[in-house]
Amino acid sequence: MATGSGSSSNTHPGLGLGWGPFLLGFVPGLLQYQLGQKRRAAVAFASCFVLFFAGWIIVRERLFYWALMTPDGTGSSFLRVVARFGFPLTLPELLNLPANALGAILCFDGSASGERLWRMPRPFEHLGGFLTGASGMLAAFWSAAGHWELRLRRDGGEAPAAPIANPALCAGLSWLVPGLGHARAGQKGKGLLLGAAVAIVFAMGLLFAHGHAVDRANASVWWMGQNLFGGGSLFAALVTGPMRMESAPPNLDVGVVWCTVAGLMNLVVMVDAFTVAERSVFPLKQRQEAVA
Amino acid sequence: MSLLLRIAVYIPVLFLIAVVVTGQHHTTARDTARAAAVRTVRWLIWSVVLVVSMFVLELLFIGW
Repeated sequence: MATGSGSSSNTHPGLGLGWGPFLLGFVPGLLQYQLGQKRRAAVAFASCFVLFFAGWIIVRERLFYWALMTPDGTGSSFLRVVARFGFPLTLPELLNLPANALGAILCFDGSASGERLWRMPRPFEHLGGFLTGASGMLAAFWSAAGHWELRLRRDGGEAPAAPIANPALCAGLSWLVPGLGHARAGQKGKGLLLGAAVAIVFAMGLLFAHGHAVDRANASVWWMGQNLFGGGSLFAALVTGPMRMESAPPNLDVGVVWCTVAGLMNLVVMVDAFTVAERSVFPLKQRQEAVA
Repeated sequence: MSLLLRIAVYIPVLFLIAVVVTGQHHTTARDTARAAAVRTVRWLIWSVVLVVSMFVLELLFIGW
Protein backbone atom coordinates (compact mmCIF):
# COMPACT_ATOMS: atom_id res chain seq x y z
CA MET A 1 0.00 0.00 0.00
CA ALA A 2 1.30 3.41 -0.87
CA THR A 3 1.90 5.70 2.03
CA GLY A 4 1.59 9.45 2.14
CA SER A 5 4.74 11.30 1.63
CA GLY A 6 3.72 14.76 1.79
CA SER A 7 1.16 16.65 3.62
CA SER A 8 4.10 18.87 4.52
CA SER A 9 3.02 21.48 2.00
CA ASN A 10 -0.22 22.10 3.82
CA THR A 11 -0.78 22.47 7.50
CA HIS A 12 -4.49 21.66 7.37
CA PRO A 13 -5.02 18.60 5.17
CA GLY A 14 -8.22 17.86 7.06
CA LEU A 15 -9.91 20.97 5.70
CA GLY A 16 -12.31 20.95 2.77
CA LEU A 17 -11.76 22.73 -0.51
CA GLY A 18 -14.39 25.41 -0.02
CA TRP A 19 -17.54 26.52 -1.83
CA GLY A 20 -15.89 27.24 -5.19
CA PRO A 21 -14.91 23.68 -6.09
CA PHE A 22 -18.16 22.41 -4.54
CA LEU A 23 -20.27 24.56 -6.85
CA LEU A 24 -18.05 23.90 -9.88
CA GLY A 25 -18.70 20.20 -9.30
CA PHE A 26 -22.30 20.63 -10.48
CA VAL A 27 -21.05 21.12 -14.05
CA PRO A 28 -19.44 17.86 -15.19
CA GLY A 29 -15.89 18.40 -16.39
CA LEU A 30 -15.47 21.94 -15.08
CA LEU A 31 -13.16 20.86 -12.25
CA GLN A 32 -11.08 18.82 -14.72
CA TYR A 33 -10.92 21.86 -17.02
CA GLN A 34 -9.74 23.97 -14.12
CA LEU A 35 -7.06 21.37 -13.44
CA GLY A 36 -5.86 21.63 -17.04
CA GLN A 37 -7.17 18.17 -18.01
CA LYS A 38 -9.05 19.32 -21.10
CA ARG A 39 -9.57 15.92 -22.72
CA ARG A 40 -10.83 14.42 -19.47
CA ALA A 41 -13.11 17.45 -19.02
CA ALA A 42 -14.63 16.85 -22.44
CA VAL A 43 -15.15 13.15 -21.70
CA ALA A 44 -16.79 13.98 -18.35
CA PHE A 45 -19.18 16.50 -19.89
CA ALA A 46 -20.01 14.33 -22.89
CA SER A 47 -20.57 11.14 -20.88
CA CYS A 48 -22.99 12.85 -18.47
CA PHE A 49 -24.76 14.68 -21.30
CA VAL A 50 -25.20 11.56 -23.46
CA LEU A 51 -26.38 9.42 -20.52
CA PHE A 52 -28.92 12.06 -19.50
CA PHE A 53 -30.40 12.50 -22.96
CA ALA A 54 -30.45 8.75 -23.61
CA GLY A 55 -32.97 8.59 -20.77
CA TRP A 56 -34.57 11.98 -21.39
CA ILE A 57 -35.84 11.03 -24.87
CA ILE A 58 -37.93 8.38 -23.10
CA VAL A 59 -39.19 10.23 -20.02
CA ARG A 60 -39.02 13.93 -21.01
CA GLU A 61 -41.49 15.93 -18.86
CA ARG A 62 -42.12 12.96 -16.55
CA LEU A 63 -39.06 14.20 -14.65
CA PHE A 64 -41.15 17.12 -13.30
CA TYR A 65 -43.62 14.66 -11.81
CA TRP A 66 -40.78 12.71 -10.16
CA ALA A 67 -39.30 15.81 -8.50
CA LEU A 68 -39.11 16.17 -4.74
CA MET A 69 -41.65 19.01 -5.08
CA THR A 70 -43.79 18.76 -8.21
CA PRO A 71 -44.02 22.25 -9.75
CA ASP A 72 -47.72 21.99 -10.63
CA GLY A 73 -50.45 24.62 -10.29
CA THR A 74 -50.96 23.88 -6.60
CA GLY A 75 -47.37 24.81 -5.71
CA SER A 76 -45.69 28.19 -5.38
CA SER A 77 -45.20 30.43 -8.40
CA PHE A 78 -41.47 30.68 -7.58
CA LEU A 79 -41.17 26.91 -7.88
CA ARG A 80 -42.81 27.03 -11.32
CA VAL A 81 -40.39 29.71 -12.50
CA VAL A 82 -37.26 27.85 -11.39
CA ALA A 83 -38.68 24.56 -12.72
CA ARG A 84 -38.39 25.96 -16.24
CA PHE A 85 -34.63 25.93 -15.78
CA GLY A 86 -34.33 22.47 -14.25
CA PHE A 87 -34.52 23.27 -10.54
CA PRO A 88 -37.55 21.31 -9.39
CA LEU A 89 -35.28 19.23 -7.13
CA THR A 90 -35.24 16.21 -9.37
CA LEU A 91 -32.63 14.06 -7.70
CA PRO A 92 -30.09 12.85 -8.63
CA GLU A 93 -30.46 14.57 -12.04
CA LEU A 94 -29.83 17.94 -10.39
CA LEU A 95 -26.19 16.91 -9.87
CA ASN A 96 -25.84 17.01 -13.68
CA LEU A 97 -26.94 20.62 -13.78
CA PRO A 98 -26.43 21.69 -17.44
CA ALA A 99 -28.10 18.67 -19.03
CA ASN A 100 -30.95 18.78 -16.51
CA ALA A 101 -31.47 22.50 -17.17
CA LEU A 102 -31.46 22.02 -20.94
CA GLY A 103 -33.88 19.10 -20.66
CA ALA A 104 -36.24 21.24 -18.56
CA ILE A 105 -36.05 24.23 -20.93
CA LEU A 106 -36.84 21.96 -23.87
CA CYS A 107 -39.99 20.41 -22.41
CA PHE A 108 -41.49 22.52 -19.60
CA ASP A 109 -45.16 23.23 -20.20
CA GLY A 110 -47.00 24.63 -17.20
CA SER A 111 -50.45 24.53 -18.82
CA ALA A 112 -53.13 22.09 -17.66
CA SER A 113 -52.55 19.82 -20.67
CA GLY A 114 -48.81 20.02 -20.07
CA GLU A 115 -49.25 18.93 -16.46
CA ARG A 116 -51.38 16.00 -17.63
CA LEU A 117 -48.41 14.88 -19.72
CA TRP A 118 -46.20 14.83 -16.58
CA ARG A 119 -48.55 12.23 -15.09
CA MET A 120 -48.83 9.99 -18.15
CA PRO A 121 -46.82 6.74 -17.93
CA ARG A 122 -44.42 6.09 -20.83
CA PRO A 123 -43.14 2.86 -22.35
CA PHE A 124 -39.72 1.96 -20.91
CA GLU A 125 -39.96 4.84 -18.42
CA HIS A 126 -38.23 2.79 -15.71
CA LEU A 127 -35.16 2.44 -17.90
CA GLY A 128 -35.34 6.09 -18.96
CA GLY A 129 -35.64 7.21 -15.35
CA PHE A 130 -32.66 5.09 -14.39
CA LEU A 131 -30.51 6.55 -17.20
CA THR A 132 -31.24 10.17 -16.33
CA GLY A 133 -30.61 9.37 -12.66
CA ALA A 134 -27.38 7.55 -13.54
CA SER A 135 -26.18 10.69 -15.36
CA GLY A 136 -26.55 12.61 -12.08
CA MET A 137 -24.61 9.96 -10.19
CA LEU A 138 -21.92 9.92 -12.89
CA ALA A 139 -21.64 13.70 -12.61
CA ALA A 140 -21.17 13.30 -8.85
CA PHE A 141 -18.35 10.79 -9.39
CA TRP A 142 -16.63 13.06 -11.92
CA SER A 143 -16.93 15.84 -9.37
CA ALA A 144 -15.44 13.58 -6.70
CA ALA A 145 -12.55 12.78 -9.06
CA GLY A 146 -11.93 16.50 -9.56
CA HIS A 147 -12.03 17.14 -5.84
CA TRP A 148 -9.56 14.33 -5.27
CA GLU A 149 -7.12 15.79 -7.83
CA LEU A 150 -7.44 19.24 -6.25
CA ARG A 151 -6.85 17.78 -2.81
CA LEU A 152 -3.81 15.87 -4.04
CA ARG A 153 -2.31 19.03 -5.54
CA ARG A 154 -3.04 21.06 -2.42
CA ASP A 155 -1.91 18.60 0.25
CA GLY A 156 0.25 16.07 -1.58
CA GLY A 157 3.44 18.09 -1.76
CA GLU A 158 5.68 18.30 -4.81
CA ALA A 159 5.71 14.57 -5.53
CA PRO A 160 2.46 13.16 -4.17
CA ALA A 161 2.26 9.42 -3.64
CA ALA A 162 -0.05 7.51 -5.98
CA PRO A 163 -3.19 6.18 -4.27
CA ILE A 164 -3.79 2.45 -4.23
CA ALA A 165 -6.79 3.19 -6.48
CA ASN A 166 -8.60 6.33 -7.61
CA PRO A 167 -11.01 7.15 -4.74
CA ALA A 168 -13.75 8.41 -7.07
CA LEU A 169 -13.49 5.23 -9.14
CA CYS A 170 -13.82 3.16 -5.95
CA ALA A 171 -16.95 5.09 -4.99
CA GLY A 172 -18.39 4.66 -8.49
CA LEU A 173 -17.70 0.92 -8.52
CA SER A 174 -19.40 0.60 -5.14
CA TRP A 175 -22.44 2.39 -6.53
CA LEU A 176 -22.85 -0.29 -9.18
CA VAL A 177 -21.70 -3.30 -7.12
CA PRO A 178 -21.51 -2.64 -3.37
CA GLY A 179 -18.12 -3.67 -2.02
CA LEU A 180 -16.35 -3.64 -5.39
CA GLY A 181 -14.73 -0.33 -4.54
CA HIS A 182 -13.26 -1.83 -1.37
CA ALA A 183 -11.95 -4.80 -3.35
CA ARG A 184 -10.32 -2.34 -5.79
CA ALA A 185 -8.77 -0.51 -2.83
CA GLY A 186 -7.35 -3.74 -1.40
CA GLN A 187 -9.97 -4.70 1.21
CA LYS A 188 -11.54 -7.69 -0.56
CA GLY A 189 -12.94 -9.48 2.49
CA LYS A 190 -14.52 -6.38 3.94
CA GLY A 191 -15.87 -5.43 0.51
CA LEU A 192 -17.52 -8.82 0.15
CA LEU A 193 -19.14 -8.52 3.59
CA LEU A 194 -20.40 -4.97 3.03
CA GLY A 195 -21.62 -5.84 -0.47
CA ALA A 196 -23.49 -8.86 0.81
CA ALA A 197 -25.12 -6.79 3.57
CA VAL A 198 -26.44 -4.20 1.09
CA ALA A 199 -27.52 -6.77 -1.50
CA ILE A 200 -29.36 -8.95 1.04
CA VAL A 201 -31.35 -6.04 2.50
CA PHE A 202 -32.23 -4.86 -1.03
CA ALA A 203 -33.22 -8.37 -2.17
CA MET A 204 -35.35 -8.87 0.95
CA GLY A 205 -37.13 -5.62 0.21
CA LEU A 206 -37.87 -6.69 -3.35
CA LEU A 207 -39.05 -10.15 -2.23
CA PHE A 208 -41.37 -8.86 0.49
CA ALA A 209 -42.94 -6.37 -1.91
CA HIS A 210 -43.27 -8.97 -4.71
CA GLY A 211 -40.86 -6.94 -6.82
CA HIS A 212 -42.75 -3.64 -6.57
CA ALA A 213 -40.57 -1.94 -3.96
CA VAL A 214 -38.43 -0.03 -6.46
CA ASP A 215 -40.67 1.94 -8.78
CA ARG A 216 -39.79 5.49 -9.73
CA ALA A 217 -43.12 5.99 -11.44
CA ASN A 218 -45.15 5.35 -8.28
CA ALA A 219 -42.76 6.05 -5.40
CA SER A 220 -40.33 8.59 -6.80
CA VAL A 221 -39.20 10.07 -3.47
CA TRP A 222 -38.33 6.64 -2.08
CA TRP A 223 -36.56 5.90 -5.35
CA MET A 224 -34.10 8.76 -4.70
CA GLY A 225 -32.76 6.76 -1.76
CA GLN A 226 -33.02 3.39 -3.49
CA ASN A 227 -31.01 4.70 -6.46
CA LEU A 228 -27.98 5.06 -4.21
CA PHE A 229 -27.56 1.35 -4.93
CA GLY A 230 -27.12 1.69 -8.69
CA GLY A 231 -26.84 -2.01 -9.50
CA GLY A 232 -30.03 -2.73 -7.59
CA SER A 233 -32.00 0.08 -9.17
CA LEU A 234 -30.75 -0.98 -12.61
CA PHE A 235 -31.99 -4.52 -11.93
CA ALA A 236 -35.31 -3.09 -10.79
CA ALA A 237 -35.55 -0.84 -13.86
CA LEU A 238 -34.98 -3.77 -16.21
CA VAL A 239 -36.72 -6.64 -14.45
CA THR A 240 -39.11 -5.80 -11.61
CA GLY A 241 -40.13 -2.20 -12.43
CA PRO A 242 -42.04 -3.00 -15.64
CA MET A 243 -44.01 -5.80 -13.90
CA ARG A 244 -47.71 -5.05 -13.70
CA MET A 245 -49.07 -4.62 -10.17
CA GLU A 246 -52.57 -6.11 -10.04
CA SER A 247 -53.06 -5.24 -6.37
CA ALA A 248 -50.77 -3.81 -3.72
CA PRO A 249 -48.83 -6.60 -1.95
CA PRO A 250 -49.54 -6.76 1.80
CA ASN A 251 -45.91 -5.97 2.68
CA LEU A 252 -45.28 -3.26 0.12
CA ASP A 253 -44.47 -0.74 2.87
CA VAL A 254 -41.79 -2.95 4.42
CA GLY A 255 -40.26 -3.72 1.02
CA VAL A 256 -40.08 -0.04 0.00
CA VAL A 257 -38.46 0.92 3.30
CA TRP A 258 -35.89 -1.89 3.15
CA CYS A 259 -34.86 -1.11 -0.41
CA THR A 260 -34.43 2.54 0.60
CA VAL A 261 -32.43 1.50 3.67
CA ALA A 262 -30.23 -0.63 1.37
CA GLY A 263 -29.61 2.44 -0.81
CA LEU A 264 -28.67 4.54 2.21
CA MET A 265 -26.42 1.73 3.46
CA ASN A 266 -24.69 1.79 0.09
CA LEU A 267 -24.12 5.55 0.43
CA VAL A 268 -22.08 4.73 3.55
CA VAL A 269 -20.26 1.97 1.62
CA MET A 270 -19.45 4.37 -1.25
CA VAL A 271 -18.09 7.03 1.09
CA ASP A 272 -16.06 4.42 2.95
CA ALA A 273 -14.62 3.05 -0.31
CA PHE A 274 -13.56 6.60 -1.24
CA THR A 275 -12.01 7.05 2.21
CA VAL A 276 -10.13 3.73 2.12
CA ALA A 277 -8.43 4.73 -1.15
CA GLU A 278 -7.88 8.28 0.12
CA ARG A 279 -6.15 7.03 3.27
CA SER A 280 -3.57 5.21 1.17
CA VAL A 281 -2.15 8.69 0.51
CA PHE A 282 -3.40 10.62 3.53
CA PRO A 283 -3.40 8.27 6.52
CA LEU A 284 -5.95 8.83 9.27
CA LYS A 285 -3.40 9.67 11.97
CA GLN A 286 -1.90 12.47 9.90
CA ARG A 287 -5.36 13.88 9.22
CA GLN A 288 -6.42 13.80 12.87
CA GLU A 289 -3.23 15.53 13.96
CA ALA A 290 -3.75 18.27 11.40
CA VAL A 291 -7.37 18.88 12.43
CA ALA A 292 -6.39 18.95 16.12
CA MET B 1 -47.28 -10.42 7.45
CA SER B 2 -47.69 -11.13 11.11
CA LEU B 3 -46.02 -8.99 13.72
CA LEU B 4 -44.00 -12.02 14.80
CA LEU B 5 -42.44 -12.40 11.35
CA ARG B 6 -41.60 -8.69 11.21
CA ILE B 7 -39.85 -8.96 14.56
CA ALA B 8 -37.99 -12.10 13.41
CA VAL B 9 -36.71 -10.30 10.31
CA TYR B 10 -35.83 -7.18 12.31
CA ILE B 11 -32.81 -8.80 13.98
CA PRO B 12 -30.92 -9.92 10.83
CA VAL B 13 -31.64 -6.58 9.13
CA LEU B 14 -30.31 -4.80 12.20
CA PHE B 15 -27.14 -6.91 11.99
CA LEU B 16 -26.68 -6.12 8.28
CA ILE B 17 -27.05 -2.39 8.95
CA ALA B 18 -24.56 -2.73 11.82
CA VAL B 19 -22.10 -4.40 9.41
CA VAL B 20 -22.11 -1.31 7.20
CA VAL B 21 -21.91 1.11 10.14
CA THR B 22 -19.03 -0.68 11.90
CA GLY B 23 -17.27 -1.42 8.60
CA GLN B 24 -16.04 2.17 8.53
CA HIS B 25 -13.90 1.57 11.59
CA HIS B 26 -12.32 -1.76 10.61
CA THR B 27 -10.22 -3.05 7.75
CA THR B 28 -11.00 -6.79 7.77
CA ALA B 29 -14.24 -8.71 7.38
CA ARG B 30 -13.70 -10.63 10.62
CA ASP B 31 -13.24 -7.50 12.75
CA THR B 32 -16.22 -5.88 11.05
CA ALA B 33 -18.50 -8.88 11.68
CA ARG B 34 -17.41 -9.13 15.30
CA ALA B 35 -18.01 -5.43 15.95
CA ALA B 36 -21.35 -5.65 14.12
CA ALA B 37 -22.53 -8.47 16.41
CA VAL B 38 -21.74 -6.39 19.50
CA ARG B 39 -23.43 -3.34 17.98
CA THR B 40 -26.53 -5.40 17.08
CA VAL B 41 -26.93 -6.53 20.69
CA ARG B 42 -26.56 -2.95 21.87
CA TRP B 43 -29.16 -1.71 19.34
CA LEU B 44 -31.52 -4.53 20.31
CA ILE B 45 -31.36 -3.47 23.95
CA TRP B 46 -32.12 0.11 22.94
CA SER B 47 -34.98 -1.14 20.75
CA VAL B 48 -36.50 -2.97 23.73
CA VAL B 49 -36.04 0.13 25.91
CA LEU B 50 -37.80 2.21 23.25
CA VAL B 51 -40.73 -0.21 22.91
CA VAL B 52 -41.15 -0.46 26.70
CA SER B 53 -41.02 3.35 27.02
CA MET B 54 -43.68 3.74 24.35
CA PHE B 55 -45.80 1.11 26.06
CA VAL B 56 -45.51 2.89 29.41
CA LEU B 57 -46.41 6.22 27.80
CA GLU B 58 -49.41 4.58 26.20
CA LEU B 59 -50.52 3.20 29.54
CA LEU B 60 -50.07 6.58 31.21
CA PHE B 61 -51.83 8.75 28.65
CA ILE B 62 -54.28 6.42 26.91
CA GLY B 63 -54.86 3.74 29.50
CA TRP B 64 -55.08 -0.04 29.37
